[in-house]
Amino acid sequence: MKKVYEKPVITRLETGFMNKFGKSPFYSRKVRQDIDGVPIERLVEEFGSPLFVYSERQLREKYRQVYNAFASRYPNVQFGWSYKTNYLQAICSVLHQEGAIAEVVSAFEYEKARKLGIEGKNIIFNGPHKPIEILEVAASEGAMIHIDHFDEIIDLEQVADKLGKQIKVAIRLNMDTGIHPQWSRFGFNLENGQALDAVKRIASGGKLILNGLHCHIGTFILEPEAYAIEVEKMVKFAYQVEDNFGFKIEYIDIGGGFPSKNRLKGTYLPPDVVVPPVDEFAEKITQALYSNLRPGDFPKLVLETGRAIVDEAGYLITTVFASKRLPDGRKAYIADAGVNILFTAFWYKFNIEIDRPVQGANEPSVIYGPLCMNIDVIDEGSLLPPLERGTRLIFSPVGAYNNTQWMQFIEYRPNVVMVMEDGSVELIREKEDITDIERRERLPERLKVK
Amino acid sequence: MKAVIENIKAILSSYSDIFFIESYVVGGILLLATFLNPNLAIAGIISVLSAYFFAKFLKMEKTFLSSGYYTYNSLLVGLSVGYLFKITPLTVFFTITSGIITLVFSIMLYNIFSYYFRLPILSLPFVVISSTIYLAVVNYSNLFVSSLYPHIKLSFIETYMPLWVSGYLKSLGSILFLPDVAVGLLIALILLFVSRILFMLSLLGYYSGTIASALLTGSFQQAFNDLSHFNFILIAMALGGVFLIPSIKSYFVSVVAVLSSNILLSAVKTFWALYSIPAFTLPFNFITLLFIYVLGLVGFPLVAKVIRRTPEETLDFYLTNLKRYRGYDTSIHLPFVGQWTVWQGFDGKWTHKGSWRYAYDFVITDEEGKTYRGEGYQLTDYYAYRKPVLSPTRGRVVKVVSDLPDNPIGQVDRENSWGNLVIIQSDKGFYVEISHFAQYSIKVKEGDWVEVGSFLGLCGNSGYSPQPHIHIQVQSSPEIGAYTIPFSFSSYISENRFYSNDLPKEGQVVEPAYPDKSLELKMTFILDYQFEYEIFENGQKKGELVMVVEMSPDGTFYFNSGKGKLYFGKRDGTFYFYRLDGEDRYLKALFMSLPRLPLTYREGLQWEDYIPIRIVIPPLRKSLILFLSSFYHNFATIQYTGKWVSENKIKGKVKAPMLNVEKEATVVLDEVKGISSVEIDGIQLKLKGIKYTKEEQ
Repeated sequence: MKKVYEKPVITRLETGFMNKFGKSPFYSRKVRQDIDGVPIERLVEEFGSPLFVYSERQLREKYRQVYNAFASRYPNVQFGWSYKTNYLQAICSVLHQEGAIAEVVSAFEYEKARKLGIEGKNIIFNGPHKPIEILEVAASEGAMIHIDHFDEIIDLEQVADKLGKQIKVAIRLNMDTGIHPQWSRFGFNLENGQALDAVKRIASGGKLILNGLHCHIGTFILEPEAYAIEVEKMVKFAYQVEDNFGFKIEYIDIGGGFPSKNRLKGTYLPPDVVVPPVDEFAEKITQALYSNLRPGDFPKLVLETGRAIVDEAGYLITTVFASKRLPDGRKAYIADAGVNILFTAFWYKFNIEIDRPVQGANEPSVIYGPLCMNIDVIDEGSLLPPLERGTRLIFSPVGAYNNTQWMQFIEYRPNVVMVMEDGSVELIREKEDITDIERRERLPERLKVK
Repeated sequence: MKAVIENIKAILSSYSDIFFIESYVVGGILLLATFLNPNLAIAGIISVLSAYFFAKFLKMEKTFLSSGYYTYNSLLVGLSVGYLFKITPLTVFFTITSGIITLVFSIMLYNIFSYYFRLPILSLPFVVISSTIYLAVVNYSNLFVSSLYPHIKLSFIETYMPLWVSGYLKSLGSILFLPDVAVGLLIALILLFVSRILFMLSLLGYYSGTIASALLTGSFQQAFNDLSHFNFILIAMALGGVFLIPSIKSYFVSVVAVLSSNILLSAVKTFWALYSIPAFTLPFNFITLLFIYVLGLVGFPLVAKVIRRTPEETLDFYLTNLKRYRGYDTSIHLPFVGQWTVWQGFDGKWTHKGSWRYAYDFVITDEEGKTYRGEGYQLTDYYAYRKPVLSPTRGRVVKVVSDLPDNPIGQVDRENSWGNLVIIQSDKGFYVEISHFAQYSIKVKEGDWVEVGSFLGLCGNSGYSPQPHIHIQVQSSPEIGAYTIPFSFSSYISENRFYSNDLPKEGQVVEPAYPDKSLELKMTFILDYQFEYEIFENGQKKGELVMVVEMSPDGTFYFNSGKGKLYFGKRDGTFYFYRLDGEDRYLKALFMSLPRLPLTYREGLQWEDYIPIRIVIPPLRKSLILFLSSFYHNFATIQYTGKWVSENKIKGKVKAPMLNVEKEATVVLDEVKGISSVEIDGIQLKLKGIKYTKEEQ
């Protein structure tokens, strides 16, 4: 093999033992040649680059691992799949097959779940913005509606009048669980009595039946104890409601927010060290349930964990399009995917793997995306060996929030495939072309280019 | 008026009770038969009535009538007096006193026998009292002068019969003090009509006993003429069909008993004859009680715990109950949540041996059957480690050990085999011991009251535990390491099948099912509520089924439709229809469609049950099938499979390949209360309304 010329650079000497990157700086590199046995090269050949790849096996395994962590500790557990995390039909369907119901936060997501064949009674309807039309549909289909504010109570009472029946509802709470930031903009505050006021309001209206409580304390929470506090407060509040208002709280939805093995920017230690295992969360949560619930009372524990389940099952294959040397001496690469389709790059430092063994010492490198915008940086600095044009970089975990928050900005959104358990590869979302983007546009006749 | 009729029925039944048949119709026929010798008949009636009135005087007439022993013993004593003396004022007086003394003696004997020996008294009071009377009358010369009478031969058919036939028939008649072939024939026909098993046993007993006797005495002539051989008949019927479950084994036992009774009979006759007393039913009583007592003592599995009206019904009840209720009364809940695997069951390969053979070990396994992820070198690799352990029963914590360390993998603590443990005294009386908790994880303390599902602690690896697992056993005393007793688990799911009370096998994956509160409420039926159903047959309206909730003296609830009583109840997280008394095809349809319902909903969840033959098969065929089943118990089982189709809908399948039965049922539960519709066999029941009947009164 002919050696490629590389301009000489000076790199700082590291001892090769302890260092802030946690590995040998010169020759350590991560190589991934396949995803679940399917070679990266074959995937790119067939589906192009960039390419989102999901592993069905890893998705199911992760779901079971997280579900079993709770189901082996508490007898009445229900998972709701958080659509906003990833609402690709194939992803949702795998999780529905595993037993999760749907958790949606908008009219669009509600319709999406219904279209996928999920019955109303198996949809949790959250969110601050539920227009009255969709509320009516959801109420008539028996969805689990979680009220966010007083105006929603009024809307729902109107719906109840219109439908001529009482509607079962839950309310969302927010509370201090000792973590920052405290999410106080959703639901009713517990500590200042607002939540109790909401219950009073519901009871006095007589048109709604309160049968559940919901709370979601935050996202990417690394402290299991916060959930124990949340559970304790919710159970106590549930009994306060049951004893004083005669409602039966059938379920307690503690939301989600469990971390995946992703690395938040600015975290020094790797996620394997920082992120507590899901069993630790499950143990704290169920212990809190057992010590606060009355004997023999097992209300349904609903969890809306999204990221922790899907994040690690998703990979993004990109290709090195070009490389350059920055004025400060750092190596820079331009990849064919950027923040346009990798929204989570704003807060995660991804695990970067290379599709082939590469020679040469590592040097600090920056990875840019294809956008003609300064903010399009996927990785601000990693130690990478010299990479040829056409080298594939595999970013992970990318399963959460990217395929829902990606944007169509000067590029097309790429193919999404799933490596099935039997080793076959299925296209689950076809890449876009110009017709997808222009289909909804209307060009007034007189503006047409002659 | 109704009460009087009931009383008369009860007294009539005492005539049939002598032949182990409970039927006032048969009793009535037998009463009429006794009138072949009016002295006999009248003395019998006088004796029973005097006993009855004395019982009434003692304010125990209800017990008197409900227990066959009191009535038929006084009846037999009366018959024995009537057999000897004709009716005169003097004998009437004598009969009355005999009836009363029989009653008093029966009460005493009943108490002693049931308390100390757990035995029935059979006709022992009759043997004792009648023997006493026969001894006593030697002194009553007044009676002898006026009341002895010659017995006329009623039947001349006898002469046309071979001796071995007439011998059997006369022996049968002798039971009623009517040693006559016509009476014998009548009784034989009644037996054949009521129960083929009893009839067969009567033949089996008589001929095996008599032939043995003939061989011993050397004279067939003498043997077939010996009327006291009715003892053989009674022994065979009592052991083969009544007190034991009809089966080849019980038939064998009855023949053995009959053969051995021969010796006793001869001995009794030799001795008693000195005092000119007949042997009466002494050999029958002695041999039968002896065998029941000993068979019960050694735990013979075919001793009937519940005796129904005929051996066939006992058999049907036994066969279905054996299959329907598989576990023990000492049933507990699984002590965890989620799916666990049975690592070791009763009489396990490793440690569940000897006095500790009744114990279960549970671990958690993955899809590959491993109990750990990764290499399994660390405790935390094990799925079971630090998983919650919940109380399997309601009761009080009597012992807690929680300070022993968790062994590293591969090591065990031989000093403290039981490790960290909790012992709970169940409110049902027994003690449950759970072992190998993680160190300091136990959250209950001695004296705490726990409910099913209360949190106890976390699974660990303390004590004699090579890997984290839960050990559970039931003991009859509270000490650590006490002897274990058999138990079973109630209300669990395995492979999408619901088990009400059963013993999971080694390697089986089980998950406890906690009853659904709303379903439990739905299947609670309160006294005096009346359920009205519209009946449709093949689409045509066929009137109404009205059932009222009532309670029997033993506390079991039933739906009374007027024609039948359908018993139901809830236990082990299951709603059951226990049994049906009487004949009502719509109640049968209800029973068949839903013999049991798990009080846990899970879509697609299935469960199995067995339906008594009498519910599904018409009477005549049924009796033949049961007769054959007595020789081979698995001959005809009717299996039921139920399945939750949706939240309120159940599909049932009734299947019996041997009987060519295959039915499909659909049951829909009401939103609020009970069953809203049932469809099976072209019969459709639709709930029309529910009323509280007490309000109207």
